[in-house]
Amino acid sequence: MDYILSSLIFIPLLAVLIILCLPKHFTQGIKLVALLATGLQLILSVWLYTAFDASATVQGYQFVQKLNWISLNLQSLGLLQIQYFIGVDGISLSMVLLTGLISVIGVISSWTISKNIKGYFALYLLLVASVMGCFLALDFFLFYLFFEFMLLPMYFLIGIWGGPRREYAAIKFFIYTLIGSLLILIVMIGLYTSAFDPAATAVRAGLTPASQVVSAEVVAEVQRQVAAGTLTGSSIVHTFSIQDMQQAANFIPDSILNILSEKQLWGYPVRLLAFILLFIGFAIKLPVVPVHTWLPDAHVEAPTPISVLLASLLLKVGGYGLFRIVYPVFPEAAAYYAYFVGIVGVLSIIYGAMCALAMADLKKLIAYSSVSHMGFVLLGLASLTSEGTNGAMYQMFSHGLISAMLFIITGVIYDRSGSRMIDNFRGLAFSMPAFTALVVVAFFASLGLPGFSGFIAELLVLLGAFSSSAVSGMLPRWLAIVATGGLLLGAAYYLWALQRMFFGKHWVHPELKGEPVMTDLTKREYLMLVPLAILVLIFGLFPSLLLNKISPDINYFLQSVLQNR
Amino acid sequence: MNITAQSLITSLTEILGSFAFLGPELMLVLFFLLIVALDLFKSKLIKASLPWVALTGILISLISQIYFLNNIQGKQAKIFFSGLLITDGLALYAGLLFSVAGILTIVLSVLSKHLQVKFSGRGEYYAYILVLLAGLNLMAKSVNLLMLFVALELVSIASYLLTTAIKKQQDAMESGLKYILYGTLASGVMLYGMSFLYGFGGSLSFLDTAFWANLSRLDSPFFLVIFLLTFAGFLFKIAAAPFHFWAPDVYEGAPAPIVAFFATAPKIAGFVVIIRFLLQIKNNLATTLQDDVMLLVGGISLLSLVIGNFTALWQSRARRLLAYSSVAHAGFLLAALAALATNSIEAVLFYLSVLLFMNFGIFLLVQVFEERLQIFDIKGLAGQGKTYPLLGVLAIIILISLTGLPPTAGFTSKLLLFTNIWQNYSATGNQLLLTLLLVGLLLTGVAFFYYIRIPYFLFFKRNLNPEKKVVLGREDIVLAFISFPLLLFFFQPAWLTELIRQVVLYSI
Repeated sequence: MDYILSSLIFIPLLAVLIILCLPKHFTQGIKLVALLATGLQLILSVWLYTAFDASATVQGYQFVQKLNWISLNLQSLGLLQIQYFIGVDGISLSMVLLTGLISVIGVISSWTISKNIKGYFALYLLLVASVMGCFLALDFFLFYLFFEFMLLPMYFLIGIWGGPRREYAAIKFFIYTLIGSLLILIVMIGLYTSAFDPAATAVRAGLTPASQVVSAEVVAEVQRQVAAGTLTGSSIVHTFSIQDMQQAANFIPDSILNILSEKQLWGYPVRLLAFILLFIGFAIKLPVVPVHTWLPDAHVEAPTPISVLLASLLLKVGGYGLFRIVYPVFPEAAAYYAYFVGIVGVLSIIYGAMCALAMADLKKLIAYSSVSHMGFVLLGLASLTSEGTNGAMYQMFSHGLISAMLFIITGVIYDRSGSRMIDNFRGLAFSMPAFTALVVVAFFASLGLPGFSGFIAELLVLLGAFSSSAVSGMLPRWLAIVATGGLLLGAAYYLWALQRMFFGKHWVHPELKGEPVMTDLTKREYLMLVPLAILVLIFGLFPSLLLNKISPDINYFLQSVLQNR
Repeated sequence: MNITAQSLITSLTEILGSFAFLGPELMLVLFFLLIVALDLFKSKLIKASLPWVALTGILISLISQIYFLNNIQGKQAKIFFSGLLITDGLALYAGLLFSVAGILTIVLSVLSKHLQVKFSGRGEYYAYILVLLAGLNLMAKSVNLLMLFVALELVSIASYLLTTAIKKQQDAMESGLKYILYGTLASGVMLYGMSFLYGFGGSLSFLDTAFWANLSRLDSPFFLVIFLLTFAGFLFKIAAAPFHFWAPDVYEGAPAPIVAFFATAPKIAGFVVIIRFLLQIKNNLATTLQDDVMLLVGGISLLSLVIGNFTALWQSRARRLLAYSSVAHAGFLLAALAALATNSIEAVLFYLSVLLFMNFGIFLLVQVFEERLQIFDIKGLAGQGKTYPLLGVLAIIILISLTGLPPTAGFTSKLLLFTNIWQNYSATGNQLLLTLLLVGLLLTGVAFFYYIRIPYFLFFKRNLNPEKKVVLGREDIVLAFISFPLLLFFFQPAWLTELIRQVVLYSI
């Protein structure tokens, strides 16, 4: 089972190759290949979830695979080393599971796509593979590669298969994310020129033969020698490994991002600036107010399955980047800016919810509710408490499930009527009772009703935010109080939408194309919505199912951040 | 009397011995004469064979370059022809790239309908390419101001003639004339600068330490003026702002294979010369003057980056867009050289090598769209990606590489370049370098915006008047071959960087 993580990434890529070889008209075959590939991915990720050993020791990456990929000799700068380094820990585990799950749902939801099926599924699987790669990569370069590689398939999926203003939305999406990734690139270059891999440096400097495993003493010795300046220049191996970047001892003395060198730029410490750049880069993806404006456009124009993927998985990459890279590598900056991050989070919660309240388009409403819910992730993270960070992670997972449901729901309405305007419908509960029941589940789960996964997540985040001032001293209480208002607003826009669309006398706007018949769910739609609803319920009732697996690593993450601040 | 005779004899033997190092150039000149002679025959068979003769010539010259490259390892760089020329790793690697560029130019020309059907004087066309290549090789090998000027003029004159290769075309003539006017002006200015250098330096050889020692005594503003005047000629060749005005017109008027060649080979030669100069300045000149030179190079780089990227945004024709993007590329490369550090040479050579494939790829696309499908505007590309999916996908790879995004070699080259700038910034703390780094990175975003317009029209827009599909056979295959290195050197950059590292070790 050494290759399980690699197969998670490469199964969809293999499927892309198969699909490219199939003839264009063989649409059923293409769909089937996509379904099989994502199904296999789901089975593997579920297996991974059960096989993951949560009791294992601290900061344990499991199922690790580490291969040398690119090494470039930079002469006086030393060796640049890029590794194919993948592994899974409590932070990535839930995201991998989510990716496996949502990809299958996305394929089922894509069954009705009729335009250029071959191209669609090839791009779809490419997207799935790169999202999976993002969650598994432990080498910054590899992460960045997958991060960038998500853009192109997404760009085409929105731009070709999207709604009327798809081109505008696709370009806007791309420009925003590209600017974000350029900011990440700046910091990535700074990080790898500053950090080194002690184990590989030991081998290169001849302290350990290449055949042997480098012992901890040798690593410490290398770190000591580099810090003393006796080991310099060409014998140093520069690394992209996120694991190595987390230790202050792995930074070259006087390098620009070494915490001890205290370099300044325009009067600011460089590390704080680097944190801000990285933070903005991932915040665009998350998205955070005020860099969220690409999201409603992208969601509204994207076809249903792509909206599902965008909300459930791509947004999570932003939050995951904060967990995996930003906070562990820049712990002191994270603590320094906790207040700021908390405020931005609360701003997103409130502003997103207010916008959602004002939307006439159901899909836009849900898009803004995503902005609001992702604000909780930031708030939880900023609190730097155990409850808060666990809650933030839980929120990422739970929102992945719930938002998938919500976007499928809009898809169901849109498929039947060609419209998503709330005002065009009334009393849908009469013609679509089963659908309405599932809508109620989704809406209530999203607004944080106890019993659903959203409640656990938001409760934990708010608990963390409240206790933060006492425990870690990061956030003032009023932030938590204001954030609670977000829950209230959430209840307001969901219940109002529910009331307007589903209750009252049955009525559908007569001028909608082809006099829509609002029939109840088809089998295919049940197949997507029911499992999601069940999962939302299960993870709402038994939070320990997930928390037991993820919280040891998250707590370790929190400790290391707090220790190094 | 005796002594002069003695020295004459030693000089003569030195000159005779020097011919051994001139293999590639001599081959090119020989095949040039052969083509001119063959062109006199009226037989159609011979006329049709001319491109292949030229190709053979370049291949032989390429083989001799490789031979020298193999032999140079372990040996020192060699100055010959009494201090006029040098053969070192830098020159030979550049020669390798010139040969590849020459081969691709001829392949593209053979694929070009315009050049094959309408066009008289085909013999001259291929002959000029060979002369141009010889000139470029000499330029990369020059270490003497006068030799440099002669080589540069050889390149320029051949370029002027090639621009106007299709004489019947109106805008080709216009662009040719503009090119000549700008070009001669730049040459004149450069010669003026060189005359100062000679006057104050007291030598024509810029490897001479006495030459730089003399120049070190100059006042800084005066030295800068001389420096800028001399560099005008080189900057003209690499199309850096503000010496880029010829680029859009020439790119628009000249045949596509020639434009691809201009966007690549003279740029490489220009950078080799610039690298040689900057290294000497770094080693021999007073630090205050060095700082001034850094400021100047950095300023030109910044100007090129800004002008190139922002002007490209407004272009509606692919060729003009590519012209301005080529200005931007010059800006990126100059940014790496602004630190005057030796470590950036490798990154610059890597970038130039990748640029070669990107340029020929994109101009082959331009050629296919123009000649086969009569599309000249970017807007005209609407929907063609769906009609020609393979072409569309290859176009995306090439454009992504031009922008500098993974997974293409364009990204690796930008990464190496920025790494160098960053490294030099951390070493020196020079704010100019940081500015260049940040501006360069952010302008990559702008660059993306204009490059992505091409796939945007290819795939997102609908073709309103679909015509019959033209069958493309050879173009597809050649394009795939050209784009392949762009992926290869992303996944295995070490194959190229190791070669470059070896080469740079044996350079002056």
